[in-house]
Amino acid sequence: MEYRKKDSMKKIILFIIVITLLAGGIPFLYLCSYQSEQAEKKVSIIFISKRLDENNDFWSSMVEGIDMAASEYDIDIELMGPALETEYDLQKKMILEAIAKKPDAIALVPIDYSITVPYAKQIEEAGIKLVLMDSVMEEEVGLSVVSTDNYEGGRKMGEYLKEYAGHSSVIGIVAHSPSSSTAIDRERGVRAGLGGYADHIVDKVYCYSDSVKAYEATLNMLEKNPEINMIVGLNEDSSVGAARAVKDAGLAEQIRMIGFDSSMEQVQFLEEGVFNAIVVQKPLNMGYLGIKTAYQTVIGETVDKEIDSGSKLITKETIYDKENEKLLFPFNQMHE
Amino acid sequence: MTIMGERKKSLRGRMILSFLLIVAIAVVSFMIISINRSSRVIKETSVDYTLQLIQMMNENIEFYIENMENISQIAIYNSDVRKYLVADDDADEYLAKVEEQFATLKETRKDIYNIGVVGMNTNYLINDRTVLINPFIQLNDLEWYNKAIEGKDTVFSSHVQNIVYKEYEWVVTLSKPIGDPVDGEIIGVLFVDLNYRAISNLAEEINLGQKGYVYIVDGDGNIVYHPKQQLIYSGLWEEELMPADRTKNPVASWENNNKLYTSTRSELTGWTVVGVSDLDEMLSSTDDIISMYYLLAVVLIGVAMLLAVLLTDKITLPLRRLQESMLKVETGNFKVDMMEIQSRDEIGDLIRTFHIMIQEIENLIARNNIEQEEKRKSELNALQAQINPHFLYNTLDSIIWMAEDSNTRDVVLMTSALAKLLRKSISNENELVTVSEELEYTKSYLLIQKMRYKGKLKYSVNIDAAIADMEIIKLIVQPLVENAIYHGIKYKEGIGTIVIEAEYREKEIVIQVIDDGYGMSDDQLVHIFDERVIDERRNGVGVRNVHKRIQLYYGSQYGLSFISKIGQGTIATIHLPVQTGGNDGV
Repeated sequence: MEYRKKDSMKKIILFIIVITLLAGGIPFLYLCSYQSEQAEKKVSIIFISKRLDENNDFWSSMVEGIDMAASEYDIDIELMGPALETEYDLQKKMILEAIAKKPDAIALVPIDYSITVPYAKQIEEAGIKLVLMDSVMEEEVGLSVVSTDNYEGGRKMGEYLKEYAGHSSVIGIVAHSPSSSTAIDRERGVRAGLGGYADHIVDKVYCYSDSVKAYEATLNMLEKNPEINMIVGLNEDSSVGAARAVKDAGLAEQIRMIGFDSSMEQVQFLEEGVFNAIVVQKPLNMGYLGIKTAYQTVIGETVDKEIDSGSKLITKETIYDKENEKLLFPFNQMHE
Repeated sequence: MTIMGERKKSLRGRMILSFLLIVAIAVVSFMIISINRSSRVIKETSVDYTLQLIQMMNENIEFYIENMENISQIAIYNSDVRKYLVADDDADEYLAKVEEQFATLKETRKDIYNIGVVGMNTNYLINDRTVLINPFIQLNDLEWYNKAIEGKDTVFSSHVQNIVYKEYEWVVTLSKPIGDPVDGEIIGVLFVDLNYRAISNLAEEINLGQKGYVYIVDGDGNIVYHPKQQLIYSGLWEEELMPADRTKNPVASWENNNKLYTSTRSELTGWTVVGVSDLDEMLSSTDDIISMYYLLAVVLIGVAMLLAVLLTDKITLPLRRLQESMLKVETGNFKVDMMEIQSRDEIGDLIRTFHIMIQEIENLIARNNIEQEEKRKSELNALQAQINPHFLYNTLDSIIWMAEDSNTRDVVLMTSALAKLLRKSISNENELVTVSEELEYTKSYLLIQKMRYKGKLKYSVNIDAAIADMEIIKLIVQPLVENAIYHGIKYKEGIGTIVIEAEYREKEIVIQVIDDGYGMSDDQLVHIFDERVIDERRNGVGVRNVHKRIQLYYGSQYGLSFISKIGQGTIATIHLPVQTGGNDGV
C-alpha cells in the first residue's frame, strides 16, 4: 500500500513536470517562432527606375515617397536605375541583377514600351511580385500599375479650357509623341474635358520630347493658324517649348495656355502669366503608393489593377497655396 | 476503503488546490501588475525622452527666431535703413550703407537667406542691389508683407519665398513694419528669411524609432514641418495634427491611433512641436518582457505544484499512517507499530492521543483477561472443592462399619487408601497431574469402594504408555467412577465391573469409564449435566462439575459424553486436548 502510494506520487510529479513543460514550452516556442517569423517578415523590395537622378525633381520626389513607404511598412528597400532615361541596356542588366537577388517584390518603371516586356516577364517567372510604376508597356504585365491617370490629367486640362472656351475658341495641341501612351491618353482626356469644344481643336504638332522642336513646331502652328487662342502642352518638353514660343511671339496675353508637369521653367512661366494653368503629377505619391502596393502584393492583400497617384491643376493664383507649394517646389530645389 | 481513499485524496487535493490557487493568483497578479507597470514605465520614459528632445528642439527654434529678431532689430533701428526708405534722389547714398550693413548681418548667420527692406515708396533692398524683386508678383499678395503693413510683427511659417526674382526658397519669414521715427507712420517692411532646412533638419535629426517622427504646427494649426506633409495634403496620410484641447497646453501627451504624441508649445513662436512614437514599436520590447514573465510564471507555478504535492504528502503522511493503524485496530489487532512521532503539530497530538488510547485499551483488555482468569480459577476451585465432602463421608462411613466389624486389616488398607486419596485431592498445589497420577488416584478410590462393596465390584485400569506422562486437570476420572458405581453397579444384581481405558486417539487424550451396571435411560442421559435435576440418593453433582471444569479449562469443544443402555451399562468418555508441558491452559 505504501509502495503504491509512492508510485502514484511519482506519477503526479511526472504529470506536473509534463504539464509545466507543455504550458511553458509550447507558447514559448510559439512566441519564438512568431518572433523569428516577424524577423523574417521584413519585406524586401527592389525599385528599378528608368531614371535615378537626385537633381531631377520628379524622380527625387518619387524616391522621397518610396522612402516614406519603406519606413512606414518596415521594408528592406533597394533603389536601382540608370542616370538617363535612354540607357535601355543598363536597365535590362539591372532587372536581371535584381531578379538574382530574389526580393519579395520589384517595383519597376519600364524604360520602354516594348523592349522591357520580356524582362518584366522574367521577373514574374522568377516568382517575384511585380508592380509597375509611372509607365505601362504594350503587354499587360505585373499585378498593378501605379501611375498618374493620364486620361484624368488630360481631362483636367480640357475642363479648365472649357470654362474659358466660347464659339470663337481655336485650340492647338503640342504633343510629345504620336505613339506614346501618355500622349494618347492625355489627348483623349483633353478632348473629353473640352466636351463640345473638342472640335475646336484645329491643329496638333509633335515634338518628340524635345523642347526645341516643340518651340519650332508651336511657332509653325501659330503661323499656320494665327487664330489659335488656346494651346495645350501634353508633357514637360511640349509645354516648355510652346510657352517659350508663345512668349517670344508676344502672344502670352492673347493665348490661354495650359501645360503638363512642373519644371521650374514652367512654374516661372505660370507665375509670369504665359501659362494660365498647369497640371502637375504627384511623384511623391506615386513612389509612396507604388511601394505600398508592392508591399501589399507581398503580404497577400488584393490590390487594384490600376492605381492613380493623382494629378492637380494649378493656376497662378494657387501656386503658393500650402498644399501646392510642395508639389511645385520640392525642398531639394532650394540650392539650385 | 475506497471511501476512505477518496476522502484522503480530496483532503490532499484540497490542500494542493488551495496552495496552487494562492500561488497562481499571486503570480498572475504580479505578472499583470509588472507588465502594466513596465509598459507604463516605457511610455513614461518615452514621453520624458521625447519631451526632452522636442523641448530642446523648441529651444533651438526659439534661438533661430530670436536670432532673426535680433537681426531685424539691428536693421530696423539703423537710421540709414529708414533714411533709405524715405529717400528720393539721394537714395543711392544710403543704399550703399544699408547694403554694407546687410552683408555684415548675413555674415553672422549662414542660415539666413535674405534680409530685405521694402519701402512704401518702391525703394527696396534685398541682400544687395543685384537682387531683384520678382516682377510677376503683387506685394499685396504676400501675407507676411500685408501683416507688416498692418503694423504687426509676424513669424510666417514655412513657405516658398517668391519675392526674389527667379528664386524659390523654402524659408521661415520674420517680417516687421518700419515706422517713421517722427510720426510713426509705416514707411516700409523689413523681412528676414531663415533657411527652412535649419528647422526641418532639427526635426529630421530627432530619432523616435523607425516609425517615429516629429512635426511642427504653427499657432493657426498650419503645418510648419511634417515629414509626410504631401501625403497629408493628398489624403494618403491621416493624422489629427492638433487636438485643440492638447496643443493649448505648454506640454501635453496623448495617445491616438496606436501612436503616442508628446507636444511642447513655444510661447515665443506660438509653434507646437509634436513628437510621435509608434506604440507597437515602442512596446515591442514588452513582448520580450511578457514572454519572460510568462515563462517565469509557468516555472513558478510548476515549482509551486511540485512543492504543493511534496509538502502535502509530507504533511498528510503521518495522517495516512495513523489511518492505517486505525484500520488495523479496527480489525482487532492492537499490535500496531508505534510510529515515531516527529510532528509536533496537531497531527502529532492526534497520534500521541491515539497511542495512549490504544495502550489504554490494551491495558483494559489485559486487566479483563486477568480478572476472567481469576474468576475461572476461583470457579474451578469451587467446583473441585465440592468433590471432597461427599466422598469423605461415604468412605468414613465404610471405615466405621469395618471398624465395627473389627476388620482391622481392611480398615488399615482403606484408611491408607483414603489417606493417599485425600493427600492428592486436598493438596491444591497443582491443578494439573499426569494421566498416570490421576489414574493412580482413581485406583485408590476404586480400592476403597471395592472394599466397601465387598466382592460386588471388580475393576481394571489400562493406560496407554504414550499418554501416561501427559498432564491433565486432576480429579476428573474419579467422579465418573463414582457415578458408575452409584448409578450403575449399585443397582445391579451380582458383580459389577468397571474398566478404565486411557488412550491417545486422534491427538486427543481419551479416557473412558466403562461399567456394566444398570445403565441410564435416555431421559437421564439428556439431563445428566442439568443442575436442576436433583438425585435424592446420589446426585450427579460430580459428573456435572467435571464436565464444567473441563470446559472451563480447555474450552467447550472438550468435556464428557455418555453412552448408556438400561440393563447393559454406561460408557463415559472424557475428551481432553494433548497439552505440552508448562502450558497454563489459556
